[in-house]
Amino acid sequence: MTERELLKGNIAIAKASLIAGCECYFGYPITPQTEIGEYLSLEMQKRHLAYVCAESEIGAINMALGASAAGAKVMVSSSSCAVALMQETISYACADELPFVLVNVMRAGPGQGYIYPSQGDYNQATVGGGNGDYHTIVLSPSTVQECADLTYRAFYLSQKYRNPAIILADGLLGQMSESAVIKEYPYEEIDNSDWILNGASDRLSRNIHSLEPSQLKLNEHNVNLKRKYTLIENQEPMYEEYFCEDAEIIITAFGSMARYTKEVVNHYREKGIKLGLFRPITLYPFPYQQLRKLSYSAKLFVDIEMNLGQMLKDVQLSALSNVQTAFIGKPTGDWLKKEEITGVIDNLLKDKNANIR
Amino acid sequence: MQTYAKPKSIKENSSFTFCSGCDHGLAIKLVAQVIDELNIQRDTIAVSSSGCSVFLYDFLDVDCVEAPHGRACAVATGVKRAHRAKGNNKIVFTYQGDGDFASIGLGESIHSALRGENITAICINNTNYGMTGGQLGPTTPMGQITATSPLGRNKEYHGFPIQTVQHIAICEGTCFCARVALYDIKNIYNAKKQIKKAFEYQQKGLGFSFVEILSSCPTNWKLSPIDSHKKIEEELTKIYPLGVYKDIDHE
Ligand SMILES: Cc1ncc(C[n+]2csc(CCOP(=O)(O)OP(=O)(O)O)c2C)c(N)n1
Repeated sequence: MTERELLKGNIAIAKASLIAGCECYFGYPITPQTEIGEYLSLEMQKRHLAYVCAESEIGAINMALGASAAGAKVMVSSSSCAVALMQETISYACADELPFVLVNVMRAGPGQGYIYPSQGDYNQATVGGGNGDYHTIVLSPSTVQECADLTYRAFYLSQKYRNPAIILADGLLGQMSESAVIKEYPYEEIDNSDWILNGASDRLSRNIHSLEPSQLKLNEHNVNLKRKYTLIENQEPMYEEYFCEDAEIIITAFGSMARYTKEVVNHYREKGIKLGLFRPITLYPFPYQQLRKLSYSAKLFVDIEMNLGQMLKDVQLSALSNVQTAFIGKPTGDWLKKEEITGVIDNLLKDKNANIR
Repeated sequence: MQTYAKPKSIKENSSFTFCSGCDHGLAIKLVAQVIDELNIQRDTIAVSSSGCSVFLYDFLDVDCVEAPHGRACAVATGVKRAHRAKGNNKIVFTYQGDGDFASIGLGESIHSALRGENITAICINNTNYGMTGGQLGPTTPMGQITATSPLGRNKEYHGFPIQTVQHIAICEGTCFCARVALYDIKNIYNAKKQIKKAFEYQQKGLGFSFVEILSSCPTNWKLSPIDSHKKIEEELTKIYPLGVYKDIDHE
C-alpha cells in the first residue's frame, strides 16, 4: 500500500474497493469493465468475501440490494447498455435508502453500440432511467489516481447518505495504465446499526420497502428524500478549476475528455488568450453555483463532450445571461484531439457576435 | 382442551388484509409457526416480493426487505451472502407469487437453485397475477378464463403453463422441493411439515429449498372460498400433482 504503481483504471477501482472494505461484489461480464470483476474474483474468494457471477445484471444489482440491506459494503460494476438493465433496482435502492457503489465504465451507445470511447451515459447516470423522484450520486474520475480516490469517496458518500453512488468512468480510463498510489481509506466508517437487517434479536423487527399505499406517507417519504438530495447538492459538489481565475472563455468537460482539454488550455494560454477549464468531478450534484460564479467574468462557455451534448444543459443552466455557450462533441470514435477543438474555438474567437477579447 | 394461539412470529394487533378465502394468510401463518417451532425468529430475514405477497412485513414479525417484482431470490442471495461474508449464519427466505417466481423472476429463481443458494423460497401458486386483477400468468391451466384470456387459455394462442416445482427439482443445487395445497386439514398439516423441512435443510446448509403452495384466489376465480378449495382439490391437483419432488436426504 501507498506505493506508486503502474495501474489500469479498472484495477485501481478494484483494488481501492477492497481497501474501502467492500464485502460483496456481484457482476456479469461486459467490456470495457472486465478487469474489475476478474481481479476481484480471486481477491474476494481469498478473503472469504461474497462474490457472485450473477445470471444477469438484473440479478447482480438485486443481489446488491439484498446485501446492502444486510449492512454490507457492496460494489457492482458494468457498462452502459447493461447499466440500462439495472435502472429499476437503482430506483428501488434510492427509495429504500440502500447504499451501494455502481461502476459504469462507459462504452458507446445507444443500444449495444460498441466498446468505442464515449461519454454517452451522462444523462443515464445523472438524470436516471428509473421511475420517480430520485438521484444517484455520480462521481467522474479523469485519471487512474482518481479512479482509486473516487472509489473511496463513492463508498463513503453512499454510506453517509444511504444512497447508491455511481462511478462514471469510461473505456479509456478503464483500460489505460498510469502511475497511481492506492492510499489508505481516508474516511470515517459510517454506523449503520440502526437500520440494517441482521435479525431482530434485541430490537423490534425492521422492514425495508418502497411500496407505500398511504398517500400521505408516500408524499412524506418523497419530501424527505428531496430534503436529503438538497443537502447533498449543498454539501458535496466537487470540481477542478484549471486557469479559471481570469478566464474569459471557460471550457467545461468531464472525465477523460477533460484530460485532452488541458492541452487546449495550455495552447491558448501560451498565446495570451484567457481560457480555462472547469471540470465537474461530481456530475450529481452538479457544481452549478461554482460554475455560475465563473460566468461573472467569462463571456463564453465551450462545453466539450464525447457525446452529442448531455452535460451541455447543466452548463447552460449555470451560465448567466451574459454568457454564450457553445458545444463541441462527437458521439464516439477517437477522442477529440487538440487540433479539432482549437479549430472550432479559433472560429468562435473570430466571430464578432461572440464579442470575445 | 387445546386452544388456538397466535404464532409468536405474527405481529401483535395485525390482521390479514387479504380477500376473504384467500390462502395467503394461511400460508403466512404456517411459515410463522415453522419459524416459532425452529426458534429462528431472531435470526430470520424475509424477502417479500411484488404481488399480494408484498404485505408480508405487515404480518410477519421478522426483519424483511421487499424485492422488485421477480427478484426476490437475487435479493435473498445478496442478504445471505452478505451475512456469510460477515461470519453470520442467518435464515433467509423469499415469499413470492407464481408470477413473481416463475415468470418475470424465473431467471433469478432457477439460477439461485442452480447455485445451490442456501435459501428457502416459498411460492404461492394461485394460477394468475392476483394483485393486478387476475390476468393470465405462467401457471394458468389450459382452458382457464382470466382477465386476459377471456375465452380460456388456449395452447395455440397462449402457449403452455409451467410446472414450477419440477423445474426446480432438476436443478442440481436444489436440496428439497415439494408442492403442497391448503384445501383441507390433512393438507395443511402436510404443507407445514414440508415448509419446516425446507427451513431445516437451510439450517443444515444443504442448498436451495423450495415449496410451491397451490392456493385459492376466490376473488379472481370468481368462486366462493369453498368452491375455490374444491377447484384445487378436484382440478388443480390433477394438473399440478402434490408431493415431494426432491429430497437429497432420501436419495
Ligand atoms: C416490473 C413490474 N411489473 C409489473 C408490476 C405490476 N404487478 C404488481 S403485482 C403483480 C402480479 C403479481 O402476481 P403474482 O406474482 O402471481 O402474485 P399474486 O399477486 O398472485 O400473489 C404485477 C404484475 C410491478 N410491480 N413491477
